[in-house]
Amino acid sequence: MNVAILGVGFCGSFPKSDGLSYRELIRRAATQAYADAGIEAAELEGAVSCEEDFISGYSISDEYVPDQLGVQMKSVYTICGDFLHGLSSATMQLKTGRFKLLAVESYCKASNILNKDEVLNFAYDPVWNRFDVTPNYLAGIEMQQFLERSEYSADDVANVVTDAKAKGLSNSLAPYGSHLPKNEILDGRSVASPVTEAMIAKPADAAVVFVLGTQEANIKKARKPVFISGTGWSSGNSVLERRDHATSTGTVDAAKMAFLEAGVSDPKKDLDAIYVSDLYAHRALIHLEAMGIKGGLNEKINPDGGSISTGDLIEANGGARLYDAVLQLRGEAGSHQLPNVKRAAAQGWRGLPTDSCAVVVIDQERRS
Amino acid sequence: MSSANRVGVIGAGMTRFVRRAKEAPGELAAKAVEMALKDAGLTINDIDAVIHGTAPDAFDGVHMKGEHLIAGSGGVNKPYMRHFVGGGTGVFSPIHGWMHVASGKFKTCLVVCEEKMSPCVPHPAGAFLTIFDHTTEQPLKLTLLHIFAIEMCRFMHKYGYTEEELARISVISKKNALGHPAAQVAKETSVEEVMASPVLSWPVKRLDISPTSDGAVAIVLANEEVTRKHCKAPAYIDGVGFRLDTAYWCTRDLAYPEYVARAAGDAYKMAGISNPEKEIDFWEPYDPFDYKALHHMNGLLQDPTGKRVKELLLSGAFEKDGSHPICPSGGALGVGNPIAATGLMKIAELYFQLTGQAGARQLKGDLQRGIAQAWGDLMQVGTVVIMNADKGTVSKSTLWKEMTKENLPGGTPIKDVKEVPYVDYKPEINYSWDNGMALTTYLEGFKAGKIRGSKCPSCGRMMIPARAFCEVCNLKEVTDYYDLPDTGTVKTFTLSNVDWDSSMLGDGKVNIFAVIEIDGTQENMGLVHRIKDVDPKDVKVGMRVKAVWKPEEERTGNVMDLDYFRPLKDGDATDVAPTRIKPVELNPVTAKSHPGRIPLDYRYTAGIAGIKFYEDLAQGKLTGTLSDDGKTIHIPPTQFDERKMCSMDVIANAKEIDPKSGKIVGYTIVTENRQGEELAKPQVIVQVGFDGVHGTIFGKLETDNPEGVKTGLNVALQPTKECGPNYVLFK
Repeated sequence: MNVAILGVGFCGSFPKSDGLSYRELIRRAATQAYADAGIEAAELEGAVSCEEDFISGYSISDEYVPDQLGVQMKSVYTICGDFLHGLSSATMQLKTGRFKLLAVESYCKASNILNKDEVLNFAYDPVWNRFDVTPNYLAGIEMQQFLERSEYSADDVANVVTDAKAKGLSNSLAPYGSHLPKNEILDGRSVASPVTEAMIAKPADAAVVFVLGTQEANIKKARKPVFISGTGWSSGNSVLERRDHATSTGTVDAAKMAFLEAGVSDPKKDLDAIYVSDLYAHRALIHLEAMGIKGGLNEKINPDGGSISTGDLIEANGGARLYDAVLQLRGEAGSHQLPNVKRAAAQGWRGLPTDSCAVVVIDQERRS
Repeated sequence: MSSANRVGVIGAGMTRFVRRAKEAPGELAAKAVEMALKDAGLTINDIDAVIHGTAPDAFDGVHMKGEHLIAGSGGVNKPYMRHFVGGGTGVFSPIHGWMHVASGKFKTCLVVCEEKMSPCVPHPAGAFLTIFDHTTEQPLKLTLLHIFAIEMCRFMHKYGYTEEELARISVISKKNALGHPAAQVAKETSVEEVMASPVLSWPVKRLDISPTSDGAVAIVLANEEVTRKHCKAPAYIDGVGFRLDTAYWCTRDLAYPEYVARAAGDAYKMAGISNPEKEIDFWEPYDPFDYKALHHMNGLLQDPTGKRVKELLLSGAFEKDGSHPICPSGGALGVGNPIAATGLMKIAELYFQLTGQAGARQLKGDLQRGIAQAWGDLMQVGTVVIMNADKGTVSKSTLWKEMTKENLPGGTPIKDVKEVPYVDYKPEINYSWDNGMALTTYLEGFKAGKIRGSKCPSCGRMMIPARAFCEVCNLKEVTDYYDLPDTGTVKTFTLSNVDWDSSMLGDGKVNIFAVIEIDGTQENMGLVHRIKDVDPKDVKVGMRVKAVWKPEEERTGNVMDLDYFRPLKDGDATDVAPTRIKPVELNPVTAKSHPGRIPLDYRYTAGIAGIKFYEDLAQGKLTGTLSDDGKTIHIPPTQFDERKMCSMDVIANAKEIDPKSGKIVGYTIVTENRQGEELAKPQVIVQVGFDGVHGTIFGKLETDNPEGVKTGLNVALQPTKECGPNYVLFK
């Protein structure tokens, strides 16, 4: 059974979005996605949202999902995961054969949160790992261990930032694109050594909505459908004391699953565009290594400028990457369009303190 | 249902449900998982995917608590996801698991639900304040008790139930729970005893309600091939349904759960059921409050008249030996209510009953089919699962048939967290939620002493709170705003003796909260607010009321600018027509946001392993836990091996390690505190390993030379009598 991405919508990224409630932000992305898919909200059978309580500021935040997607009284649930986790879940739901048309949504109103580090700190185990210092401490330990045990240097990590920011200049949805020389990144303010401030993606607001479907009639109706050919997700150890912080086993296993399903044997060769989470610059390199992509960056990796340019959209990060991947497959990525993109993969990471990752492979044409 | 994607339940495990467990959340989950795997005859290596259902984070007191629970759930290096639909999560969990297997993606899926409500202080009920809309409802300081009481009042009004009749459900559930090994509040009780229990928020009395609980449940799902291979008597998930209604809960009649009826309809269709009352042998409706079981049964029988359910109740059909037994497990009212785990406990009960493993609770007759249902959020979600016995198979004797409370693992009750090492934490999480276009106009109305709505040009509904789009008309943009009359009609109400944090108001004080249908709108379009200037006993459904506004100079553009509603008096104008107005134009001055914070504190037990670690550290010792095969010492000490999902014993298998033999394996110099503010002095955080040991310890490093810290540096763990990571110090 082929699951198609029938329509996509994205509203953002904005460093702030006062004047738009979270409901209005999501509704804009949903309206865009439904128009792109050639459907009305009423045709949807349900939706999957991807969010966490303390990011939205609600307990049981799934309550507030259906209205702005126009799916009240439909089959709706929430995944506490990256957009790519939610998309993978919706893909399974469709493949049961009991559902035919679903929306997947994630949003981030980071600007509503006045102390984001405090929220992140609250994610650490209170008995073992929750200190009264910045929760970015784990990023510092990760990067230190990664540099000691790999062939990469701090210069390479700084290059990730320089590259991402430069690419962001060609992406109209990326508010943090700029020219930032390597030395300014390395010499910048240290947050958790060796991580400097510029190596951490800045928060932003956005909403992303996809419409997924399986029926031929819907595929014909959609403006430019693309196809999901592989999904994978996995989590490394949540016991930080017994996790290898220099690698991402979550990404290794997620990529293995998605690539096997999609028939990707050599990701560097088989994929025309590759997206990885760069919430911390060193993590981009860790994730690429974990996906079996050696040698660091090139032009087809994060062509949209990644989270470093688009902003940290929390659970919507993977959605932003996959949104760009869809545009690339359609040839609609504008000034950052890569040549001849037929197949792309996006990797998402839930951020600290997790090693929970997902990988999705999409194709211009259906595979079977 | 084609057998190609038929999904079986082949094992279940659970902890005891207790008010306050000594175990940490992961330790609770691990006990349930180990037992479920054993019951299924599998190991964690046989499990393809793991899912976790738990909600909300505000109970356990950990942001992203699904991530926190990966190890305890058996999810390490597995495809793992956490899902939730509020209180409906427990029954949604096997539905999500069903998706994993029925899609063909996985052959087996381990489904785990854990809820540890006790860390939230002073009372877990306080967490429910934050389920309400932060801008339009939280300022009223509502809690779940209020919304339940409001719904119960409406239910009684519409279907003509007395409080005594509803109390029968509490009696049935608590009695049935006497046979359940995990039960927290099983007892023989009576309608009189329920009626005599303290009124918390009329019509809700203490014994109408399930308790707050800590607990975990796990089940193993498998495709038909694996099911037949590993289980002699499986039960199959043959019908699933889940529906989520609007978050605007004052925009519907609360008496009938249409969302449950539709979810049930989906499940019936999938299971090929045309006459549920005849084709289903027993029922596990969600029963966090006694009336809820009946409320949900109306939905499951898809009967908005409610007549049949009332007949069945009054005839005794819902009793264990009746024609329509409900909650044979003992339900949330008897077994306890660790929210998500409760729903999965009900699924486990279907499995036990259908496979003849329910022991003292086993229902009579040849059971073919059972149904479980959960509900949650703002009175808006229904989740339904129908399971079938596998006819022709022979029931096997399992650990469940003879299970006793003593033999259940985990859920070790403690009266006070202070009995053991514990960690106090006060999150300082603050928000300022952007109001956006529609709410700005709505709240500016309050400042002007007006209730404002917006009118959908498509369906013609006049909506409050004012909305920028219509949720039922394909997200149609709404641009027409109106000032509405500030009069209305009480649709339902509660007379509350408790505050949002469950503390008693005292001194005979009563808060009256009501859903008020506002004049100038249509049926079922209201808002929730306070009523004053009336004797509580005179408040009635259908009472006409008028807003009392704060003095103009005190209004700030907040829903509390409307001080309260009072009974309509002679002479009050009632013929005011809605007036069309120009909405507020947004600019940097008018685009406001609503401030808020998470008003909760936490007190965590250190857990079985943490207790051992900190008690040792107080004596200057460090111990690890030796694995059963004697080959590996784990640090920190642990009650389970997350790679094998088997129990370990931090006491019996303690292995002493020299605390002075640590070597730095990871380090960082941090310059900010947890709020992101600059520290007065940089702090070194280290990850420290010990030779021949699996694992490390995180702590702070005391050093005069942060720049000299390097990997391999020898450090010594310092003794401390304090508990918590901030006291774990190396030198």
